[in-house]
Amino acid sequence: MAINGRIDTATAPELEQNINKEIEQGHRKVLLNFAGVSYISSGGLRVLLATAKKLKSPEDKFALCGLSPEVHKILKLAGFTSIFSIYTSEGEALAGW
Amino acid sequence: MPAGNAQLVPIIWQQLPGASRAEIYPYIRKVDVISSNSYLIRTPDAILLIDPGGLTDQAEMLASVIAGCRAERDRPVFVILTHAHVDHFNGMRDVPAFAYANTAVLMVQEEGALALERGDRFLTQADMFNVSIPPIQVGVHLFSPTRQDQADIPVELYPANEGHLVITRSPEDHAGNRTAHERIMVGASLVVDCYHTPGHSPDSICIRIGSLFFIGDLLFAANPGVAGLSGWSQEGLVRSLSMMEPLLSGEEITIICPGHGRTITPKDAASMMTMVKKDALALSDIAEFNRERATEAAVYAEDCMEEVNELFTIMAGRLDYVAYVLSELGEAGIAENASALMNGDKVDELLDAFRSFAEEHHRGQNLSVHLALKAGQVIGKLERSFNKSDLARIIDPSMIRRAERLLSDYTTMFRGYTPPREIAPVDLSSLLDVLVAGFTIPPCSDDDVLSSTDDDSAFAAILMARIGARPLLEDVDFSMEGKPEHLPVVLDRDLFTDLITYVLEDLVGIGSDTIRAEVRTTDTAAMLTITGNVVTADTETGRTRRFLHGLSERAGGSLTTGRDESGATQYMIQVSRAI
Repeated sequence: MAINGRIDTATAPELEQNINKEIEQGHRKVLLNFAGVSYISSGGLRVLLATAKKLKSPEDKFALCGLSPEVHKILKLAGFTSIFSIYTSEGEALAGW
Repeated sequence: MPAGNAQLVPIIWQQLPGASRAEIYPYIRKVDVISSNSYLIRTPDAILLIDPGGLTDQAEMLASVIAGCRAERDRPVFVILTHAHVDHFNGMRDVPAFAYANTAVLMVQEEGALALERGDRFLTQADMFNVSIPPIQVGVHLFSPTRQDQADIPVELYPANEGHLVITRSPEDHAGNRTAHERIMVGASLVVDCYHTPGHSPDSICIRIGSLFFIGDLLFAANPGVAGLSGWSQEGLVRSLSMMEPLLSGEEITIICPGHGRTITPKDAASMMTMVKKDALALSDIAEFNRERATEAAVYAEDCMEEVNELFTIMAGRLDYVAYVLSELGEAGIAENASALMNGDKVDELLDAFRSFAEEHHRGQNLSVHLALKAGQVIGKLERSFNKSDLARIIDPSMIRRAERLLSDYTTMFRGYTPPREIAPVDLSSLLDVLVAGFTIPPCSDDDVLSSTDDDSAFAAILMARIGARPLLEDVDFSMEGKPEHLPVVLDRDLFTDLITYVLEDLVGIGSDTIRAEVRTTDTAAMLTITGNVVTADTETGRTRRFLHGLSERAGGSLTTGRDESGATQYMIQVSRAI
């Protein structure tokens, strides 16, 4: 899934809905391409955690790629980089799937 | 403001408590700096409007209500100002029902009246809010020096609106224990008691009608961005607040009607006034809050809020991370406790609100003073949004300290003071050792965890800290070169610590897993260069760069940013050697 713009109070619920829809349709390997994301709020971080909780079976996969330095910094310092994998690009992520 | 049982019903005529022949029509707005509340009062033979507000729409609406009253029964109209700041009167200027002296007679305390008549841009705050004000004729000067020698002698006035006023000045209290007082009979039945309460402005008055007490901006007078306005007086404010105390403790007053926000009980008002007085007493030597300082505060507000945004998002995220790991470990109860320490949604909402406001500011839709005040409002709410001491037991305490310092520095700056710093001789070598140890060693050892297993609450606390406070450099290959055994320099220890933390967080945050620090010296200076190993496009915005440079200067040094030969981000901090 390619995500664009800001993930904030206004947009985080929509992102969560879209991810949930994919999971409900049976897609258990989710890669979020953050190349177009300029900002993530704590509400956005909670959406990522909620997704990680839903995709924790051994056969599931949940990862992010294409993070801007600003967003990477937030995820890294909040401790999230130890919960899910982060790749530089879609290609790098999908190579391991 | 606290909720009380002292509510008037907005935008509806109702009996004015304690005044049998008067009715009141309150126009109560949410608190902002654009326009005040308005209170419209009618008796069978007069209409009195307290503070028409700063917005034309508001004044037009009130004018139509007045027109309705006059259609039923024509009566003279009076407008009285609690003080002549533009947010309390400017809306009436273009409304014909108020604009002409013979349609509504304006009553203002002497100093405010003179300011309006000469079109004073500073005392009226027109300069601050960038509005033009032509001279405005004031029909009745309250507390006029001409009545000073006529204590207890009723003075009859027949103003241009064909109304009738009788003003009686109370004898002056030479001991200075009582505020100046004038009683105005408006028409045959409306008794209006005015008390001169300078401080917020030289012309501020409080007005009692029946059991209602209209107090203008007295409760806000020590707020950042309000204290220090042109005409503000610390001494006057403290004295006025002291003199209002006995009035509020009596039983005659039942509802307090402030200039902004909802009505409150006298009890709540009294306790708020105690706090305002305490704040006011701490405001000696405050700088004047004028347009230049508002512009400066707005620039600093945006720089500061960018850092606040990042720090609070990380703190809220870290708490969520702790809660996530705990729930994975089957510790749902402890996870819930961790989540409760900060309201992430509230924080997001506040940060979003500031960002939208700042965007409007850049589109020219609001002024610097509005942005500076908005930042002050958001920062005040953020300060109340997290439980600092409990939070510091879970996530890195230095993060909490930096967040607190960011918030308080803005308030200090906004108040007109210079944020504190203490430049003193420090051994840079030992300071760096302490910092690196703090960034490398976990706050809770394995032994701490093992020794707490018999005590549930101690175990929960250590488990949360163990998960939440991860050392910044734990996954980083960090090296330091060139550091002598001792290197006396002069700097502010706390601010320098913050600066190094921000720099390392930036390098770690962009993914550096190797960080090199190098110390070089000259006869007069020490230079610390910190380099990561990730090449990125510029990660800092102009605001962040300005913030870090400002922080570095306050810490007693100077910061330059660049890149090493491989293109990796490099920070160079120079400080003076202690002689």
